[in-house]
Amino acid sequence: MNKSLRTLLFATVLGVVCSSLLVGVTQVTRPFREANEKAERVRNTLIALEAPVTARTPAAELLVLFDRDIRLQDQAGIPSFAYHPGGVDHPVAIAVPFGGAGVWGPIEGILALEPDMQTIRGVRFYKQEETPGLGGEIASVAFQDQFKGKRIRAADGQPGVRLVAAGAASGPNTVDAITGATMTSGRVEEMLTTLARRLHNGKEDGQ
Amino acid sequence: MSESTKSSGCCGGCGSGIKCMQIIEDGTLKNNPIIHQVLGVCSALAVTGRVENAIVMGIALIFVAMMSNLIVSLIRNLMPRRIRMVVEVAIIATFVIIFDQLLKAFYWDMSRQLGPYVGLIITNCIVMGRAEAYATQNPPLPAMLDGIANGLGYAVILVLIACFRELLGAGTLLGITILPASHYTPNILMVLAPGAFFTAGFLIWIINAIRQPRAETEETA
Repeated sequence: MNKSLRTLLFATVLGVVCSSLLVGVTQVTRPFREANEKAERVRNTLIALEAPVTARTPAAELLVLFDRDIRLQDQAGIPSFAYHPGGVDHPVAIAVPFGGAGVWGPIEGILALEPDMQTIRGVRFYKQEETPGLGGEIASVAFQDQFKGKRIRAADGQPGVRLVAAGAASGPNTVDAITGATMTSGRVEEMLTTLARRLHNGKEDGQ
Repeated sequence: MSESTKSSGCCGGCGSGIKCMQIIEDGTLKNNPIIHQVLGVCSALAVTGRVENAIVMGIALIFVAMMSNLIVSLIRNLMPRRIRMVVEVAIIATFVIIFDQLLKAFYWDMSRQLGPYVGLIITNCIVMGRAEAYATQNPPLPAMLDGIANGLGYAVILVLIACFRELLGAGTLLGITILPASHYTPNILMVLAPGAFFTAGFLIWIINAIRQPRAETEETA
């Protein structure tokens, strides 16, 4: 009994010490981490919109470009980013953020659409913790670039995006899923379809 | 293991009786975690596409192994035997998360390139192995040194593998072009996973072939 009590006490003290250490470090680093995460979001939004930005553009330059060419806009209740390069009146593209549960952690991304709100201009998954080499491939350029030019509506008009087995019958709204990452592919399909439905319904409500 | 009966190893400089040189030699050469024990190979294969990544990963492992060995050694007499593995993992995880957070705050690009591999140091057998095999039975200073030595042994091999892979795979070292594209066509295979297996395999083979005669005489002695 005494021995068990000592074990319990030891575990409790250790837990408290370790967690307070972690809380401390997390608090100290929070402003820096948040600034980095914001820059990453801005960078990916601009890349999806096909603004002249690369993975190496310095953060300060990104923010200047973002402040100059991006106007915030409400899209079916989602705060979105309209791209007005050089201040043109009509947006050249609109980026809508999305997110959802991945296999190991949350997935966040941005979907850029042409002004018709149907054709995909670019997709970026900027936050994900999927299995490296499998689900993690959603962040690869090859996977993300597949979406370019696809539509967020099937041939029959049903809103949604489908990830299908490579080589399967392709449609206007299908891209190749990742082999070996069925769960990640399924969740990505689900979150993009939810977004497509919401944009579709929002548009009908508005008109 | 350092519990050999050899009396040499204590340099005598500090008078503490700690066999500093022996601990360092064990960790980096004689008992190198990757070459001799083939531990921590997962990350050694995964992050060695670029020298810079390998260096940061090496620093991470040195830091974690050093700190966890130190703490485990400090509390080794208080630690209830039954939960010692859990305690070790909790301590290791704490330091890994601290390093990961610092990386995310001050070295964002690197943090993104290393991805989950920093977090996976928690399950790196080297750290756990040294905590369990050495730190639970030795005083804090030698334990700390043992952590540094093993981390260093890991880091050196990682950087070696990364040098080969980055040079042959991209023609650069630390991002600086060494073999210009006009004279050398980068071998993409080297930066892909198979390149890591080939390089690590050849390295282990070569080093063991060189060291073989000595290792045998030591065993028979």
